[in-house]
Amino acid sequence: MTRVLVVDDEPQIRRALRTSLQAHGHDVLTAGTGLEGVERAADSEPDLVFLDLGLPDLDGTEVIRRIRSFSEIPIIVLSVRDQQADKVAALDAGADDYVTKPFGMEEVLARLRAALRRTHPDEPAPAVQRFGDLEVDLAKRLVTRRGERVHLTPTEYGLLEALVANPGKLLTHPWLLRKVWGQGYGRESHYLRVYVRALRSKLGDDAAAPSLILTEPGVGYRWIAEPSP
Amino acid sequence: MARGILGPMRPARPGLAAAVAVVAPLCATLLGLLFGDVAEDAGVASLYLLAVVVAAALGGIPSGLAASLLSFMGLNFFFTEPELTFRVGKTEDLIALLVFLLVSSIVGTLLARALSERQRATRREREAALLNYIASKLLSPDPLDRRLGDLATVLLEPFDLVRCDILAEVGDERVEVCRERPGSSGERIEVPMLSGEDRHGTLVAVRRDGVPPLAEADRDLLEACARQISVALERARFDAAIEAARVSSEASQMRAALFSSVTHDLRTPLSSIKASVTSLLDDEAVHDQAQERELLQTVLEETDRLNQLVGNILDLAKVRAGALVPTKQLTAIEDVLESVLHRMGPALQRVSVRTMVRPDLPDVMMDAMQIDQVFTNVLENAVRFTPPDKEIQIAIVPWRDGVQVRVADQGPGIPSEERERVFEPFYRSEAGGGRGGSGLGLAIARAIVRAHGGRIRIEGSPSGGAAVVFELPADAPSIVQEPV
Repeated sequence: MTRVLVVDDEPQIRRALRTSLQAHGHDVLTAGTGLEGVERAADSEPDLVFLDLGLPDLDGTEVIRRIRSFSEIPIIVLSVRDQQADKVAALDAGADDYVTKPFGMEEVLARLRAALRRTHPDEPAPAVQRFGDLEVDLAKRLVTRRGERVHLTPTEYGLLEALVANPGKLLTHPWLLRKVWGQGYGRESHYLRVYVRALRSKLGDDAAAPSLILTEPGVGYRWIAEPSP
Repeated sequence: MARGILGPMRPARPGLAAAVAVVAPLCATLLGLLFGDVAEDAGVASLYLLAVVVAAALGGIPSGLAASLLSFMGLNFFFTEPELTFRVGKTEDLIALLVFLLVSSIVGTLLARALSERQRATRREREAALLNYIASKLLSPDPLDRRLGDLATVLLEPFDLVRCDILAEVGDERVEVCRERPGSSGERIEVPMLSGEDRHGTLVAVRRDGVPPLAEADRDLLEACARQISVALERARFDAAIEAARVSSEASQMRAALFSSVTHDLRTPLSSIKASVTSLLDDEAVHDQAQERELLQTVLEETDRLNQLVGNILDLAKVRAGALVPTKQLTAIEDVLESVLHRMGPALQRVSVRTMVRPDLPDVMMDAMQIDQVFTNVLENAVRFTPPDKEIQIAIVPWRDGVQVRVADQGPGIPSEERERVFEPFYRSEAGGGRGGSGLGLAIARAIVRAHGGRIRIEGSPSGGAAVVFELPADAPSIVQEPV
């Protein structure tokens, strides 16, 4: 059973999340302020935190920093539409992902699953991963689609590897650039766009109805394909 | 206008006039004595006439007359028999001398008058040019401080100033500009800027050290300039007052419209949500699974509708408060479109959507959330007016240094006289036949696009429907929107 901490000052949101998460078999703790949230994160050792950015006492980014000072547990930020800048700041401060309010529970649960999969893998990720008719062999660095070899440049492969290794996670532009291009990169988000476009066309993903790579405008990319057995 | 065209306006110089009246006949006498042997008496008389002309030209009428008298005496003393006396022997010589005096005074006077007439005309022309320049400058669309600064600059040269300050008051606003050029300061002149009874500020002119004091005519001109500026300042104040009145009257009309519209638009989804939920909570009602799902589906759809509406109302409030300032960063517009299409997927299912995105689009400085809102509003409109199974075409192409987006539907179209009105808040097209919509979507879209320095308009579509076209420049200073 996983233990989830919900930090939000709105009792209705806490109730809705608690009810739905419990219905999915999670143990739910709640906190109504930032300080209480940091305390519970420290003493109850939850597996994951949902954190509202608009708390009355502490700035959301500050809560993330304090939790990060003692724990690496996944933090998923709950933000409203107008907090685009806060959202990016929260990701920079160490949040793993975000969900925009008002959210649907299926979205919350998908983010939760993706985050937990990364921290508590049921089994080590297999070297060969299948997503529908796409197969990525991370050991041999081979990509095939419908049985045919897909030829990727080293950068394209690096990008695909970074995405596939973090299923469901929002990967920000700076993070991807540093991961694939190396330290010293971080502001060249147009590189990413060019390579994501190339990757999509080689992997047969449609930008308007993506099944593999989802764009989060101005923030980053997310690998959304569910692995097939 | 180059400031050189105005040029400095020289005051009359009395010293020069006196000097030239004496020196010119003196030169004529010396030349006459030197070349007396060769020159006939008539030749000497011509020399003196020349001297009178020169004196009149340089020194004006008094110089001309003085030179004429001196020449008459010189001619008599040195060149008329008996020489070196003022006596005249022959009657014809006396007549010749008197004729000379008469002719030279007439020539000198006429010439001096013609020249001074011309000078005055030139001066008037310059004054007119200066005042004209001031008037045209004041009407230019530049910001007030910039216009006043240009005016201060233009006054420096003609009035021989080292510094010119314009301290203006427009309503409660104070604008102060100061223009300087190198040189040590001399006389300081303060001219009130008056228009009728009202004072609109002060013009302070500091003249260059050592130049003669400002002549009466020049002072008048400076005052005329100040008056001209104050007329413009008064107009600016009236304009501001009229604009404020217009905005406030529109704002109160808008508020009334907003209240009735928002009350209705917010209550409708809330009513269906409440009805669905109370039905589900009702222990006595028996729902089968399909009915239960349908009620829940209603709640979901109405929640989304409410969310979108609240987003638009918040944006409208921001536009009103002048707070719709984009937080811009370099973003690819196709990323935004992609995410909107993904999110709106279910709503777009009843029509087909075709996108044509050119691969060579430049990145554009934008607030991704706001442009997302523009796409969402425009697409919601397009879907609302497109019959099932018809097509919505979205095309994005490079435009100047930015991008142009075109969303064309196959609905009934919008008649050209309505194409501007649909951007007014709460305007609902007749052609829509009362189909949904808060009438806010396009108004918000326009406010956002304009805040990005772009344009948005409706065009006809070859397929018969309407096309919303908007352009975003690569980067424009964020513009605080006027109230819509």
